Amino acid sequence: MKTLSLYQPGRSIIHKIDPVTKLLFIILAIFVPIIIGTWGAALLTLLISLSFILIGRVFKKVLPILGFSSIIILSVIIIQGLFYVNNKAPLFTLGPVTVYREGFYYALNIALRIYNILVAVSILVLTTKPSDLIEALVRKGFSPRIGYIFSSVLQIIPQMMSTVDTISDAQRSRGLETEGRLSARIKAFFPLIGPVVMNSLISTRERAMALEVRAFNSKRKKTFLHEEVKTGYSRFLQFILLAILLAAIVWRVLS
Amino acid sequence: MNKIKVKNLHFTYSGGQEVLTGLNLHFDDRSTAIIGQNGAGKTTFVKLLKGLLKPIQGDVWIKGFNTKEHTVASLARHIGLVFQNPNDQIFKSRVIDEVMFGPLNIGQVEQEAKKNAVNALDMVGLSGQAEENPYDLSLSDRKLVSIASIVAMNTDILIFDEPTIAQDFCGREKIKKIISHLRKEGKLIITIIHDMDFVAETFERTIVFHRGMVLLDGEPREVFSQEQELREAYLEQPHVTRLAKKLGIKETLLTAEELIDYVKKPG
Repeated sequence: MKTLSLYQPGRSIIHKIDPVTKLLFIILAIFVPIIIGTWGAALLTLLISLSFILIGRVFKKVLPILGFSSIIILSVIIIQGLFYVNNKAPLFTLGPVTVYREGFYYALNIALRIYNILVAVSILVLTTKPSDLIEALVRKGFSPRIGYIFSSVLQIIPQMMSTVDTISDAQRSRGLETEGRLSARIKAFFPLIGPVVMNSLISTRERAMALEVRAFNSKRKKTFLHEEVKTGYSRFLQFILLAILLAAIVWRVLS
Repeated sequence: MNKIKVKNLHFTYSGGQEVLTGLNLHFDDRSTAIIGQNGAGKTTFVKLLKGLLKPIQGDVWIKGFNTKEHTVASLARHIGLVFQNPNDQIFKSRVIDEVMFGPLNIGQVEQEAKKNAVNALDMVGLSGQAEENPYDLSLSDRKLVSIASIVAMNTDILIFDEPTIAQDFCGREKIKKIISHLRKEGKLIITIIHDMDFVAETFERTIVFHRGMVLLDGEPREVFSQEQELREAYLEQPHVTRLAKKLGIKETLLTAEELIDYVKKPG
């Protein structure tokens, strides 16, 4: 079945860490390098994130994400290398164009930060089931309504896509040309969109009733289907992460 | 004459397991039920007949037309398919317009389409509702609208995907009548179905699909007598057949009428 999430099922230790800890790690991976501000810190964070990705066995899935963003980063490097305001010292010359040191390093710095964010977020996205993430957030006081909206969007869109396929099959079976000339495509619009809208209205009503039957709007405190997995080390990990963040701030203020 | 010829048909969904593994089948005029557990490849098979899917290997000929070489829309004048869920196709605000949509698409002129639509609605017993909005009808009536909308296209071959779903006894009887009526007009009827009783009462030929292969193929009496093979395909005999067996009757009986006659028979 089609899904909207990038989640890769697995049994690694990274998969077992709770979503909130991973969220905390993302915050850390983004802000600690900025707070400390050295190349070393940024590189070290990136290496740590990458090693988590490797432990989670999802390295192959990160590559396309990194590859795609590299196109953008390359353009940043070119533009900053050539046109950065503080450009003074030439780094190297390729024919008529000269790349400057200041702009080049500035762009590299940006690139490192982008990779840092991407890899850290990938840890969460690739190793956490979306529904687990939403449930963890609702547990932390996030509104269950908003939580439901998020998780339903993840489910409904693939479902709608397969409905659209079925409808297109049904109408083509009745001799409707959906391919070819523009005029044919325009004519095909209503027979296709009509049942799609009708079906989603019907299923929305049914879903609303199904939710209400199970007292979705009840004001009482909600219980959860899955018991919270409270591992001793998740609290310990969160404590360590916060300690590192604090240490970074203190180090920055003092030095 | 063979209306459909299937030769060495293989099909696989992208990256998946092989769903159909080398089918060879011919369909003549006999009304045919295709049965088998979920995932046996029935729906995939009829989608291939209809041209909605194209064979990975092998060929399907619909009245001599190879489905690989023709679009779904152009095959639609020879073969009709009624989908399981009527909501997947209904978009007009009047029943009659909905039923006329297919006929007009395949090139019938307005008058002819109208005549066919009226006849089709008559056949399914909805001639009184022609002006109503399809969405004001019950689900079972909407299913009949979707059947009428394919019948009106006047194709030589009609496929029904689970026609008896959401139908009560009356609806089932109505669909049975529609099938035998179309059969009398010389059309080939193929049905995917899970209702064994309906198969036993209605069809002349039964094909059992199992894991992308044809396990049994023959008259319903012959097919339903093979309890062992049916069990292998995770299917059950019709209720009457099982009842007759429990009563110690050796013959394979298919319908309630047959059983009553058998019991009443002196000796």
